[in-house]
Amino acid sequence: MAGGSAISGLVGARVHRKEDRTILTGTGRYIDDVQERGMLHCHFLRSTVAHGRITSIDVSAAREVEGVVRVFTGADMSAITEDLSFAQPIPGLNSPSYPAIARDVVRFVGEPVALVVAESRYIAEDAAALIEIEYDLLEPVMSTAAGLAEGATQLFDDVPGNVVHTDEQLFGDIEAAFAQADHVVTQSLDQHRWACNPMETRGGVATYETGSGQLTYEASTQTTHTLRFLLAGWIRHPIHQFRVTANNIGGGFGLKFSAYREDVAVCAAAKAIGGTVKWVEDRNEHLVAAGAAREEQLTLEAAVKADGTLLGLRVTMKLDAGAYPINPPATVYAGLVRTTLPGPYKLPAYQFRHHIVATNKASYISLRGPWAVETLVRERLMDKIAHTCGISPVEVRNRNLITLDDQPTKMITNVTLENVTAAETFQKLVEMVDLDAVRREQEAARAEGRLLGFGVGTFIEPAPGTQEFWAAVGFPFGSEPCRIRIEIDGKVTAFTPQTPHGQSHETTLSQLIADELGVGFDDIRIVYGDTDATPFSMLGTGGSRAATMASGAVVYGSRELRKRLLEIASHILEASVDDLDIADGVVSVKGAPGASVPIAQIAMGCWLAPEQMPPGTNTEMEFVANYDGEGGGFSQASHACWIEVDQQTGKIEIKRFLVVEDCGKMINPAVVEGQVIGGIAMGVGGMLLEHSAYADDGQYLAATFMDYLMPSAPELPEIEIEHLEFESDKVVGSRGVGEGGTVLAPAALLNAIDDALAQVGRERVTETPVTPTRMLELLGVIEKE
Amino acid sequence: MKPPVFDYVSPATLEEAIQALSAPDDGDVKVLAGGQSLVPLLNLRLPQPGRIGDIKGLDELTGITEEAGYLTVGALVRQREAELSDVVRTACPLLHEAIPLIGHTAIRNRGTVGGSIAHADPAAELPTVAACLDAELVARGPGGERTIPAADFFTGFFTTALAEDEILTAVRVRSVGPATGAAYEEVARRHGDFAMAGVAAQVRLDGDTVAEARIAISGVDLAPVRATKAEAALAGRTVDDSILDEAADAAVADLSPSSDLHGSAAYRKHVAGVLIRKAVAAAAARAREAR
Amino acid sequence: MKTREITVTVNGRKRTVTVEVRRTLADFLREDLGLTATHLGCEHGVCGACTVVVDGHTERSCTQLAVQADGREITTVEGLAGPDGELHPVQQALRDNHSFQCGFCTPGFVMSIYGMCEEKKAGRSVPCSRAAIREELSGNICRCTGYQSIVDGAEAALAGAGSDTGKDA
Repeated sequence: MAGGSAISGLVGARVHRKEDRTILTGTGRYIDDVQERGMLHCHFLRSTVAHGRITSIDVSAAREVEGVVRVFTGADMSAITEDLSFAQPIPGLNSPSYPAIARDVVRFVGEPVALVVAESRYIAEDAAALIEIEYDLLEPVMSTAAGLAEGATQLFDDVPGNVVHTDEQLFGDIEAAFAQADHVVTQSLDQHRWACNPMETRGGVATYETGSGQLTYEASTQTTHTLRFLLAGWIRHPIHQFRVTANNIGGGFGLKFSAYREDVAVCAAAKAIGGTVKWVEDRNEHLVAAGAAREEQLTLEAAVKADGTLLGLRVTMKLDAGAYPINPPATVYAGLVRTTLPGPYKLPAYQFRHHIVATNKASYISLRGPWAVETLVRERLMDKIAHTCGISPVEVRNRNLITLDDQPTKMITNVTLENVTAAETFQKLVEMVDLDAVRREQEAARAEGRLLGFGVGTFIEPAPGTQEFWAAVGFPFGSEPCRIRIEIDGKVTAFTPQTPHGQSHETTLSQLIADELGVGFDDIRIVYGDTDATPFSMLGTGGSRAATMASGAVVYGSRELRKRLLEIASHILEASVDDLDIADGVVSVKGAPGASVPIAQIAMGCWLAPEQMPPGTNTEMEFVANYDGEGGGFSQASHACWIEVDQQTGKIEIKRFLVVEDCGKMINPAVVEGQVIGGIAMGVGGMLLEHSAYADDGQYLAATFMDYLMPSAPELPEIEIEHLEFESDKVVGSRGVGEGGTVLAPAALLNAIDDALAQVGRERVTETPVTPTRMLELLGVIEKE
Repeated sequence: MKPPVFDYVSPATLEEAIQALSAPDDGDVKVLAGGQSLVPLLNLRLPQPGRIGDIKGLDELTGITEEAGYLTVGALVRQREAELSDVVRTACPLLHEAIPLIGHTAIRNRGTVGGSIAHADPAAELPTVAACLDAELVARGPGGERTIPAADFFTGFFTTALAEDEILTAVRVRSVGPATGAAYEEVARRHGDFAMAGVAAQVRLDGDTVAEARIAISGVDLAPVRATKAEAALAGRTVDDSILDEAADAAVADLSPSSDLHGSAAYRKHVAGVLIRKAVAAAAARAREAR
Repeated sequence: MKTREITVTVNGRKRTVTVEVRRTLADFLREDLGLTATHLGCEHGVCGACTVVVDGHTERSCTQLAVQADGREITTVEGLAGPDGELHPVQQALRDNHSFQCGFCTPGFVMSIYGMCEEKKAGRSVPCSRAAIREELSGNICRCTGYQSIVDGAEAALAGAGSDTGKDA
């Protein structure tokens, strides 16, 4: 479906994507597609020990290999770069700085210990194999418990007791809550480590022009502007001479939100050598070294009344942060979990304690919905409360959920909720599911020796969140800019700091501009990422911001330009602005289509002869809008999951999955559904298949795709989605939906597994992943190892 | 992840291939057939062979024939070709059942029957089928041709009885007669993954009772395991739930698999029993239909 | 020998190039021939992003040496669209169904689905149900979509593939 008639009709429609022609014909430009004449290739030698002191490193043989241009040791790299520091003025945050390439100590298997730059990746790997390095082994710390233990080996001098950060926050009268409780329901969960694994690994191409001193870094990144200012400092390069760009990006899921030591090393290498230097991480490196997430241990205690009403909640969380901090600081993750955990439920009192612990593992990074464990533990706790009080999972939620009628209201964590429809999505879900039929089906199955499970969950997510929310978390909630330009030919270019990597922004933002400005969908080009072209934003693409924030920026930008066009046109057509309309790039008088002037004519006049345009009109055809979010907001959804457990093999099949989601006004339903389904796939994968596993000695175990398993098509069901589109009074009623599937699906799935276990009198899941082995252990079919 | 430097030859005849395998000046020689096992390992630089002998040109190693009660599959026959072959389907239903479980179509388009058997991954389907059927593995070396029975072929973890200078040229199995059914059952984490455990079973009935049962188990040891005690338990019996239990228990009692990220030892042991019951029941049912 | 001259026909064009014997087919296509549509997702033959069609069969180009492709005919994604850039029916079906997001896995899926359609046109059996399509596509990994939209596109492509030759589904 092409552009054509523009006024209203594109927003809300399943418009075909602009991105598709490029990706379907394979003509995109991903990092590894960059092939410049004379370009050199990087390969990092990486530590094979989890914790050790480097006693010697000899790169002389590597330097001799034909085709090798430079080899950098940690000392070489430290001579030309600053150590990376992610320190922030956060009380109690112990954030060690560290060199781009390890100099003295290595603290995880996979840490870069040398960089080889050569004429090809093949040669670089040959040379790396000749580097001799010796380590004095140190005791590895491989869990939060080990890190916190008395007398544990300390990873860093400035991280006492391996505690990166610890805090306790109290809301309401928690003592009174527990004093009044009819029941205290406890639960614990050890979530395992798993990872983003975009299909395109990390990488970048750094070009240094020795003549001008200009450095350009084309990166597979979610945040060009932040990468630019962080890297400029660390490679000691003037920021005004540093440009960061992004073209096609093969997925990110949060991983590509930070700046990495490899980015520093590659840019510094380009500067030292001159010319163009490319780094592409291979999958083995990526699995070992890029970082992972979700390794958190939580214990919860809920004080409840006999009827299942929540009185108070105590939570303790330990987060395994790996060795080195990245961006954002881990306090943000703890803050997100703490702030969001009460979810859409009424909670009168709350205590949240956390410990973030350094261990000898790759860094803890942002993984789609980094706070997701809060929904996982809370939704499972609700089911346990239901079980304890003898009510259904539906009833316990009905008794505690905040409805629209209750709003505006404040979460116990001081965040105002308004226009939040979690309860309404749950209501709709319940209407669509015949719970009695589900139970009858389960009973019939058990009679045949089969075991079925059913689970539900509901949640809210900050998409994009609100000022209050982000203040509580400790992370900025900035406005979002967009520069929109009406070109001389009347077509439109919009410059956004977003860096889409599958979110379809080129399409959705074009839909919005087309509807607001009255220009054809195909007459709009979206320029993204390039720090030379796009306005500054610290945030790029992530955090489910774009649907609201980028949309708002283009809507407000378009409206301002529309205003200018109409004002000029009103003079030309001698009509009042209110009597004018724009469609298909032409301004005309309503009801008198003959009286019209093409945008192109106005634009050409404004650009080439502004002095001849009607006096007093604004002839600037380019405008930078800054959208503050109109308060921002939340998205919400409820999931229902039906499973069958094979009691002989422990395999879990998801038979049916139902979603009722509300992300406000949908710009493109096909894009929304793609995000929801993709998100669920990731959540399911995390719970059943994926594991960034370490051995006790610190060796990394899941180093190839034979061991790190992501869901393939047969592992997923056909997911059914019902959309509720809450209409607020905001100009921009769209909310984000990129992370929600990944946040909620694990809860619905684990609740279904617990439901199955309960039917055969077995205990609930307390550790993930729920592999076939673990399932049979839980069922009591085999002994735990 | 790029392969290391190695020397490469692509012999045009079997004789040339055998010569290429003998006495290289530098390091190991590895035979390259479809490459679906070898090339991923080369990308990881796990083997660093001095020389690779690409046998794709050896037409004498292609060809599927059924003659005098034997099915012969050339070592270079692509797994996909064997999968789609009517001759294989009728002469060796076990092979026909097992091959679709190997990886994915694109892998089977390149992977060869001989390559998989010579690679001897204890979790792989083809070595397990070979063990189950007492296949004859035909090898050629500088000393000429010899036939190695499957029972002697798989000597250890990814290790076979093939000498350094021998090439596997063909796999030979007895064609099935009437009243014979086969089944291959496995449990993998995902569709197409290496099995955590798998069972190849072939049953020949005499009337209602088992004349011959063949059972081999993958993924539970360093090489495929013939469940001889289970086979003995089944002989002369009518296949029912209680004999299946007896057979499975007998087989599993002797197993001591290892643990890894995908499954514990206890899991593999348990699931081997489950799969034996399933595979033998299915094979027996098919044998009944084929009477 | 450490290098060898090979001749391959790629997207209808005969190319003769001297390559290192250790060079993978994927790197040969991407770097020696500049055909970068074929992507590297893992280099261990699991993810399928590098899938191309060789002599009519779908094959992974990362687990194949370029020298093994000597004398063979290869089709990559770049060879599918028409001379005026019209999308191949498989590409069009995937576009119509919003099948993809970031695009990195896409060429591998396009070639796998193209391979399925070619099998169908040649009268061989192909998956008909969505479940069977999912199984057949299990050798291609996508991290963005959760596969549902890809199955939609593959279904549409397969439905369209029968009609050319009039053969039965």
